[in-house]
Order: sequence, then C-alpha cells, then structure tokens
Amino acid sequence: MTELKQRRIVYTAEDLQKKVAGIARQISIDYKDKDLVVVGVLKGSLYFFADLTRAIDIPIAIDVIAIGTIPNTTSKTGVVRITKDLDQDISGRHVLVIEDIIRTGLTTAYLVQNLALRNPASIKVCSLLVNPDQQLINVPIAYNGYEISDTWLIGYGMDVHEQGRNLPYIAEIEKKI
Amino acid sequence: MGSLGDEIAEALARKLSWEQINRSKLITRFFANSTDTREQHLLNESAKFFLSESRANGTYLDVLERSLFELSKKQSAILVGFGSQIIFADDKDALHIRIIAPEKVRITRIRRQFHVSESEAVQVLDTADKKHRRFVSTVFGADLSDFSLYDLTLNTAALSVDECVASILALQQEHEERLKIERESEQCESIDHQSDLPVFKNPSEAEFAKILDMYQIDWKYEPKTFPVEWDAEGNVTLAFSPDFYLTKFDTYLELTTMNQKYVTEKNKKMKKVRELYPGTNVKIVYKKDFMSLIERFNMGS
Repeated sequence: MTELKQRRIVYTAEDLQKKVAGIARQISIDYKDKDLVVVGVLKGSLYFFADLTRAIDIPIAIDVIAIGTIPNTTSKTGVVRITKDLDQDISGRHVLVIEDIIRTGLTTAYLVQNLALRNPASIKVCSLLVNPDQQLINVPIAYNGYEISDTWLIGYGMDVHEQGRNLPYIAEIEKKI
Repeated sequence: MGSLGDEIAEALARKLSWEQINRSKLITRFFANSTDTREQHLLNESAKFFLSESRANGTYLDVLERSLFELSKKQSAILVGFGSQIIFADDKDALHIRIIAPEKVRITRIRRQFHVSESEAVQVLDTADKKHRRFVSTVFGADLSDFSLYDLTLNTAALSVDECVASILALQQEHEERLKIERESEQCESIDHQSDLPVFKNPSEAEFAKILDMYQIDWKYEPKTFPVEWDAEGNVTLAFSPDFYLTKFDTYLELTTMNQKYVTEKNKKMKKVRELYPGTNVKIVYKKDFMSLIERFNMGS
C-alpha cells in the first residue's frame, strides 16, 4: 500500500463539525413537520452522512444508496447502475441526497433522475464540497458546505484508491496515485 | 375496436393524468348545454348531423372545433375516435397516433371480450369500422387509413398495452423537447438544426457521448447555433454551436480538448451567448476534466 503524501489539512475535524452543525440546523428548520428521507450516497458521504443525520433535530428517516459501474458485454465502457438501492419507498416523501463532493455533477444527476422516477414530493441535494468550476450539470444543490477548487482531497469519507477515508479531517494530497 | 386503441388511450390518460375524450364524451362535454336530447342522439348516431347548422354560430362541427381549440389552450387531453387527427393536423403540439391490429387478432379479441361467435364478432367489427370510417369521411372528407394523417402507427398484434404506452410516452417526451428548442430558436434568433444527423466531428465528442449514455443523461448533438456577432448588414459573422444539449437539465456543453488558443476563443463565444441569450445555460468541458472522466472509465485504451 502506497502512503499518501498529505500537502496540508484543508478542513480540520473541528471545522467540519461546525460546518455540519450549521447545515443540520438549516435542514431542521427547512424540513420541520415534513416527511424527510435523508439518503447517503455510499461510500464517500459515509461520515458526513452519519454526523449530519445525528445533528438534525427533527424526526427523519435515513437510507443509503450506492452506485457503481457495471461492465457491459456490448461495450467497453460499461454502464452506471445502482449497486445498493434504497430500502424505503420514497413516493410522496421529501428526499435529501447527501454527497461528499460534487465535481462534474454527472453521478448526482444520474441519482436525481433515477430517484425522481419514484415520485417523491421533492428531491434536493446536500453536498459537503462543491467544485463550481468543474460542475457541468445543474443539480438541485440546496445545502453546500464548502466550495473547492481542483485539488486532490482525502479524508472524512473521501479516498484515493480506498485509502484515507477514515481520516477525521480533509487533507489535500500531492497528486493522485 | 379490438385493436386496443381504447385501452391504450385509457392507460395513457391515467399515466399522464390527462382527460380522455371519445365521441360519446365529447357530446356531453361540449354540447350538453346547447342541445336537447334529440340533437344529442343525432350527434351520437349521425355523422351528417355534425354538418347541420347549430343554434350557436355555425355548424355543430364548427362548435366542436372551436370548443376543442379552446380546451387545447387550457389543458392537454387524449382525443379518441372522432377524427381529431384532422382537426389538429396543423397543431405542432399534437401527436397523432394510429393503433391497428390484423383483422384476425381483432376478431379474436372481440369474441373474448363480448363472448360472441366468430360470425357475430366479424359483424360487430364490420359495423364499428364502417361507422368510424363514415364519420371521418362525411365530417372531414378524409380517409381514415391515410398514413399521412399519423405521426406514429402501432400494431398491437405483438405489442401489449404497456409497450404501446411506453412508446407513445417516449415519443411525447422527445417531441416536447424538440418543440422547446424550436420555439426558443424562433424567439431568440438562434438556429435550430435538430434534424441534422449526429455525426461527431472528432473522437472526443463520441467518447463524451458514451459517458453521458453511461449516466443515462439524455443529450442532443449540436441541436442549435447561436449567432453572436453580425456585420453592419446584419449578416452573422460569428456563431457558436455547443456540442451537446442535455435536455433534462437544460444545459449546453462545449468540449475543449484542443490547445489553449481554441479554449480562449470558446470562452469568448460562451460569454457572448450568455450575454445575448439570457437564461441560456452553457458550460465548457475542459481538457483535464474530460481526461479525468475518460481515465475514470478506462476509456482511453
């Protein structure tokens, strides 16, 4: 296993907890008295999702979803598919999708399109990090922790080749391995 | 009858939450207040009666057409079995669908539905077809079987109601998107060329289309051109045709996989589009982002 060379800590554990608390407060206000299902997108949003949902102080349901690329026999590119679907019916309910980071927005667009077919009352997106310069698709981002530039980040759920997810902070690394 | 047209119309109406109007419903819907029972009976039974003078301005057909045009301004509806394909022939928003099935299949379905013998089913079918044909030819002077009256013909011999409904819904969605671009173009002087075949100018565009397909994001290739500079005589001297339009996200994307000189030029054009066509969402896919997508999906090899 190659060790990742951290250049600097971008957001400390304290920064993240403060930011999460702020977002959770706003979500608790916006969704008061609404039937809200908070959906974590695995694996990147794992820690953000866990901290955020525990900081939200209104009744909510939680669920998780995972997407991946499945090889396609007819093309070398494969297809993007849900590899772990929701356990709950979201029809008529408000859905908040939790992402760790939105870069191009392609993955989130795929998810939002897919979930919209299940007739929820609304779908919004909450992402800890967003890179507006890279974003190609306008997905409905209602809550956003930090705007970032084009850097390689690990920690707090984000990885490079599955390394670094369990760091309590977010760090910039020198380059992708 | 026996072609599943009514069943498909009903399923579509349910899916879209649109009102379904057939010949008997149109009489109660549009003539209930202006006609008596005798007139309503005649409208139901006699095609010719539609051409007689009504108590309102014009014939009953005029009243029907006026009522339908009024209705179409307020809501969407599924119109079945009274020649609406002719009334709305010039309406770009309308889709005209013909549902057919081979006679043998229709007879079998009628036998099953009404528990009748084959000869009775043949007679029922013959009467229903004649009545429908006569109505359209008498009222509109048109031939029901004229293929040019329809945008889509579906044969239900081997297709289920669900399959037909899915096909019609897909066509309706595509048609709406096409009309949206066409109308925007009419309003803002951009040039609509959706009918052009998507022939990619370079391999990067083909690769990017594959990535969008992987994410099931609907796209159109260079669906229109935005003029951005004109000479003194009003001739277009500079234009921008973004490579992709993402229909569900109302976003135009332009790929830049070439050198910096072209990137600067494209940025300039994009800025002008944003200024001249407010509300148009255009973004540039830079080479490094494109390459990281290609790398992510191992498409480079």
